[in-house]
Amino acid sequence: MTFFTIVVRGLLRRPVRTGLTLVGISIGIAAVVALVGISRGFEASWATGMKVRGTDIVVSNMGNALAPKPFSSEVRDRIGNLPEVASACSIYADLTSVEDASMMVVSAREWGGFSWQNLKLISGRMPHDAMEPAVVLGQTAAEMLKKKIGDPLQLETKELTVTGIVDGGAMVENGSVILSLALFQNITGNEGRINVIDIRATPGMSEDEVKQLCNKIDAIAPEAKAMVAGEHLGNSQAFRFISAMSWGTSLLAVIVGVLGVMNTMLMTVFERKQEICILLAIGWKPGRVIRMILWESALLGFLGGIVGVIIGTIGVKVLETLPAIHGMLEPDFNAELMGVAVVLSVVVGVLSGLYPAWRSSRLTPSLAMQG
Amino acid sequence: MTQPLPDSPAAASPALVFEARGLKKQYDDGCVQALRGVNFRITQGEFVVIIGPSGCGKTTLLQMLGALDVPSAGILHYRDKSIADLPDPSGYRAREIGIIFQAFHLLPTFTAVENVQMPMFETDRPAAMRTERAVELLTSVGLEHRLDHFPSKLSGGEKQRVAIARSLANGPSVLLADEPTGNLDSENAKHILELIIRLRREKNMTLVLVTHDLNIARLASRVIKMKDGLIVADEQTPPPAA
Repeated sequence: MTFFTIVVRGLLRRPVRTGLTLVGISIGIAAVVALVGISRGFEASWATGMKVRGTDIVVSNMGNALAPKPFSSEVRDRIGNLPEVASACSIYADLTSVEDASMMVVSAREWGGFSWQNLKLISGRMPHDAMEPAVVLGQTAAEMLKKKIGDPLQLETKELTVTGIVDGGAMVENGSVILSLALFQNITGNEGRINVIDIRATPGMSEDEVKQLCNKIDAIAPEAKAMVAGEHLGNSQAFRFISAMSWGTSLLAVIVGVLGVMNTMLMTVFERKQEICILLAIGWKPGRVIRMILWESALLGFLGGIVGVIIGTIGVKVLETLPAIHGMLEPDFNAELMGVAVVLSVVVGVLSGLYPAWRSSRLTPSLAMQG
Repeated sequence: MTQPLPDSPAAASPALVFEARGLKKQYDDGCVQALRGVNFRITQGEFVVIIGPSGCGKTTLLQMLGALDVPSAGILHYRDKSIADLPDPSGYRAREIGIIFQAFHLLPTFTAVENVQMPMFETDRPAAMRTERAVELLTSVGLEHRLDHFPSKLSGGEKQRVAIARSLANGPSVLLADEPTGNLDSENAKHILELIIRLRREKNMTLVLVTHDLNIARLASRVIKMKDGLIVADEQTPPPAA
C-alpha cells in the first residue's frame, strides 16, 4: 500500500458524493473549455478568412459593435494610391438577421475586387455585374437558409436571387451572404459608405514593413485603423467584451466548482475527524494529514478537469449539430487549452482543499481516545 | 495538592522510562481537574496497571504519557526528556510508543494488513517492506488468515489483535493500552490479555495498561490506583502463580 492508495481510498469512501463533486467541477471546467474554445475559434476563423482572401491588412473602425463602423469609401482611394499597396478592396460587412437566421455575416464586396477571388463556385454562377440583384451564398449559409440556386432571398426590403453557392475556404466565408458592394449600398441607402478595406501589400514585404505600412495608412486615413490581418478582431471592444464574458462565465462556473470541492473536503474532514485523530495518535505528522487532504482534493480536481475537458468538447460538438448554429462554430480545442483547463482544475482542487486541510491539522490526537 | 515522590529506585535498577512530578491537567479553565498533582516513575520493562473508577483521571494520564495531550502543570519526562517539550511529538508517538485503544480504532476502509502499515508511513520503510512487516506482525498475533479482511469482517477479538499488531508496527519500547479488553467478551479478553503480556515479555517492552478490571491488575508487576485525579496507591504486586 502506498500513500496514493490512502488518497484514492479516501475519495472512494463516499463514491456518490465524490461523483457528484466530480460532476460539479467538471461542469465548471467544461464551461471554460467550451466558452474559451469557441471564443478562440471565432478569432481564429476570422484570421483564416483573412488568409484565404489573401488580405494582409484590414482597415476598419472596430468600435463597440460586432460590425465595424462605416466611413467614406473615398478612404479606399487614398490608401490605394500608396506605392506599398498592391491592391485594395472595399467591403461593407454586417452582422444581421437574414430571413429565418437570427445572425449572419453579410459581406458586400467591391465588384471586381480581390476579395471575390477566393470564392470557388460549387454550383450556379457569380453575378453578371455589380448591380444584378443577385447574391452568392457560402455553402453553410445556403444550408442554414435552406436555399438553392434560383431561390429568392429577402435582404432588407429587396428580394434578390441566389445565383451561386460557393466554398470560401474558411468558416466565416462559408457562413456569409456575399453580394456586390454597390448593390448593397443601394439597398441599404449607404451610398459612398464602407466599413472595411482589405489590403494586399506589395509582395515580398516583411512583417515589419507591413506594420510600417499600417502606420502610414493610419496617418492618411484617420477615420479608421489599419491592422495586420487576424489581429483586428482582437482589438474590437465588442469582441473583447464577448471574450471577457466567456472568461467571466467560466470563472463563475469554476467558483461553483471550488465551493463544491471545498464542501466535499470539509464534509470529509468532519466525517473522518476521529480517523484523522487516530492517524495523529499513531504517529502521523499533521503535515502528512494535510498532504492527504490536499492530494485528495487535487486528485478530485484532476479527474474533474479530465472529465470537464471531455464534457466541454462533446458539448460543443453537440451544439454544432443544432440547426440554429450549425456551421457558425469553429471551436479551437488545442492541446494548450486542454492542458490549461486540467491544470486550472487541479489548482482549483488544491485551493479548495486548503481550508479543510488546515482544519484537519488543528485536530488533536487525544480525540482518538474518545468514542 | 501534590503527592510526595515515591522512593527513588535503587542505583542498579532498569532505565527510567517515565517520570511524573506534580503532574496536573485541567479542562474548561480549571473547572475540571482531571489530574491534581501526580507523581510516579516507571522503569524499562515494567508492566504497570492503572486502575480506578471512571473519571479518576487514568485515561487522561495515559494521554499525557502518549503525548496526545499536554499537561497544565508539573513535569512529565520520557527518558529524561520533557514530553510536553518534545520537538517532534508525532515522531515520539510513531517510534517510541504503541497505543492500543479500547474501541480498536481501526480504519474501516483499509484491510487488516493495510491498517497495520499505517504507522509505518512515518518511517523510511519502502512499500514492500511495510507490507512484509505488517504480515509478520499479523502472523505473530495469529491473524495470518485474515490479512485482507476489512474491519467490518473481523470479530471484536480479531479487531483488537489487528490493533495490537498496529501498535507494534515501528517496534516501540513502550505500549500504552487503554482498556484493551473493555469491548470484548471474557474469552476474547483473556486471549487478548495473554497476547499483550506475551508480546511485552518477548520484546521487553514497558506496558502501561489502564483498566477497571481487578483481575487484570493481578497480572501486573505494579498497580497504580487512582481516585479523583490523584494516585491513592502505588503497589508492586507479587508475580502470579504459574
